[in-house]
Amino acid sequence: MGVMVVGVWAGEGGRAGPPGRPSPSGSLGAGRRDRPRVLVVDDDPAILATVQDILAAEGWEVVAVETGVEAVASIRDQRPAVMLLDMRMPGMDGWAVARAAREQAPGVPIVVMTAAENAAAWAAEVAAEAYVAKPFMLDDLLRVVDRFRTGGGRPN
Amino acid sequence: MTALDLLNVTAQAAYVVTFVLVGVKTVRHPTPAHRDMTLFFGVMALAILAQRIAPFFSTLPPAWVTGAVVVLLMAMPYVLLRLVADFSVVRPWLMRTVEVLVVAAVVAEVAFAGDAPAGVLLAMVAYFAAVFVYCGTAFMSGARRGQGITRRRLEAVSIGSIFIGVAILLAGSELLVGEIAAPILNAMAQLFFLASALAYYAGFAPPTFLRRAWQAPEIDAFLTRAAELPRRPTTSEIVRELERGAASATGAAATIGLWDEDRGALRFLRAEPSTEYVDVRPGELAGGRAFASQHIEFSADPQRDHPEGREVYRATGVGATIAAPITSGDRRLGVLCLFAARSPLFAVSDTELAKLFADQAATILEARVLIDHAARVRAQEEATRLKEDFLSAAAHDLRTPLTTLLAQAQFLERRARRDPSAPADLKGLERIAREAERLRSLVADLLDVARLEQRRLLGEREPVDLAAIVGKIADRRDDGRARVRLEVRSPVVGTYDRQRIEQLLENLLENALKYSETSAPVTVEVWQDADAARISVRDQGIGIPASDLPRIFERFTRASNVDDRRFHGMGLGLYICRGIAEEHGGRIWAESEVGKGSAFHVELPLSMERRAN
Repeated sequence: MGVMVVGVWAGEGGRAGPPGRPSPSGSLGAGRRDRPRVLVVDDDPAILATVQDILAAEGWEVVAVETGVEAVASIRDQRPAVMLLDMRMPGMDGWAVARAAREQAPGVPIVVMTAAENAAAWAAEVAAEAYVAKPFMLDDLLRVVDRFRTGGGRPN
Repeated sequence: MTALDLLNVTAQAAYVVTFVLVGVKTVRHPTPAHRDMTLFFGVMALAILAQRIAPFFSTLPPAWVTGAVVVLLMAMPYVLLRLVADFSVVRPWLMRTVEVLVVAAVVAEVAFAGDAPAGVLLAMVAYFAAVFVYCGTAFMSGARRGQGITRRRLEAVSIGSIFIGVAILLAGSELLVGEIAAPILNAMAQLFFLASALAYYAGFAPPTFLRRAWQAPEIDAFLTRAAELPRRPTTSEIVRELERGAASATGAAATIGLWDEDRGALRFLRAEPSTEYVDVRPGELAGGRAFASQHIEFSADPQRDHPEGREVYRATGVGATIAAPITSGDRRLGVLCLFAARSPLFAVSDTELAKLFADQAATILEARVLIDHAARVRAQEEATRLKEDFLSAAAHDLRTPLTTLLAQAQFLERRARRDPSAPADLKGLERIAREAERLRSLVADLLDVARLEQRRLLGEREPVDLAAIVGKIADRRDDGRARVRLEVRSPVVGTYDRQRIEQLLENLLENALKYSETSAPVTVEVWQDADAARISVRDQGIGIPASDLPRIFERFTRASNVDDRRFHGMGLGLYICRGIAEEHGGRIWAESEVGKGSAFHVELPLSMERRAN
């Protein structure tokens, strides 16, 4: 399954983009661009698509992936300003993604997004910068993500 | 003294010693077999003593002594036959015939006054030899039926009888051969007499060391097996194994009664292959008495010692019993009973062996209790964990579609407010509809599981034609690709909850279609088999790994080769299917091969009433 780059700017900077367009390397960072980039990881396609639409409408460039493996590749190559990470996923789960992300893209904040009972505890387990418990109110999601709009660094 | 004399003396001494030993036994434990043994060796000893002592008084023993010895010797085959009857079964007509022959032999001896013609003597020899050989084979067949030490003892006795028969034949043949050959035959006869004396001694009155040596292999074998006994799946299997071990080591029948507090009785498993129980109250019969007194009970004649069980003992042909309490510390677990099938083959020393087995049984059963207890605790923990798992899995799976519903609805609302003229977001609306439907079916499944666990899944029952239902569902599910092949010949009508049966079939068909290629056919068969309806749904799909097959009907279980992202579901469908089948009194099972496909089979009784009969 390929990486989906979403929004009206589909293709710009995405790996799935049309040939000929230069793909920004991770070193360029998100902060140099006018649109902050967010990586969304969720194995549920409906949630993934919804979050994609919501964040794109708020001016984010959204990289949406359904598996942990794709997430690790994306966080390394695309250097998002923030990663929204589902925890319970088949194959490579949220814990494994978080571990790999800390190694390969340190400094990218992680926002855990889970439908589990103990969202806060799971977020703490991977030392996430923030968490959103599913189901979430739209405003809550936007408020949390907005804290990381300014760039690839930690908010404080 | 010649070598021949030495042989003679040794053989005779062996008989006399055996007589003294069994005589002591008879005084201590007067049983029919002990009496007959004493009688048998007594006759021999008396004849020998008469022959040995007489010369001290005069050159020739008085005629009446010789006569008495001859008469006693004539009765020997009869006494031996009585011994066989104690250990095994002798036909009454044979017994009567031998009695008549004994009388005839005595009459002949008296009539001819030790001067019988050769023909009569030969007839007597033949009669002796025949009875001894018969007894030998009878003991041998008894040995074949027996086991352990009993078998070995009967074998020894059998060999003794055959030897004595041969010795008599040889001694009798002396009359027919010349002067030169007679001493050789006589020597051989003496050898056989000695061998028979030793064999009889070993068989009828084995010394303790021999007894232990004969028991050792079975005891060793049992103790080797004992270590893994507590891990047997059921207590009754452990009891059976303990019974077998005790039986083979003692050469008797063994049975174990376990104390049942609720019934206030010792529960004995009937002899294999029965799986029924017999209850015995404390104080009743040998077992109950040993359990009540907490002492080993030995009874040579249980019909006399336990009159309340006379009928039982007589019917089962029990000769002697040893009952030993199985007690661990102050916990009275039960009682071990050993029954010698027909004969009092037990020695009092066998009570020690019984105690060893009872103690071993106590240790094993106690270990079993601990293992059971640990298993119960584990099962409880597992049940709690499953319940928690269920709740958290259910909550998680309900929140997932809800997340989309809430976020998408709020997002559409915000969009509409910001830009009222914007075109409708069809994708978002579709997403809402799809996730709402997913939530609905999830809630329906969860409610079904809750009903199933209260056994309230089924509603009103009515006559339902499975063939018609299958046709209807196939039409509904086939989405125009003609993948579903029906093999239905005639209506199959049973009394079912129509809605639930539809749900069951729909679920199976949906699975078959979902887990196979969109071009692969799915076959549904419906037929009647005796008074049950049978349904099979076969696909050529991804199949189910053998390791997952036993668990696929459990809740929240999905085969490990199911890609969660391609196939949504909580793993409740087949669990509900099993519930529907079982609440109808039927069953559901599956066969599968990975990569080849799966077949799900359902069997439903046509009506509950018929099944109840």
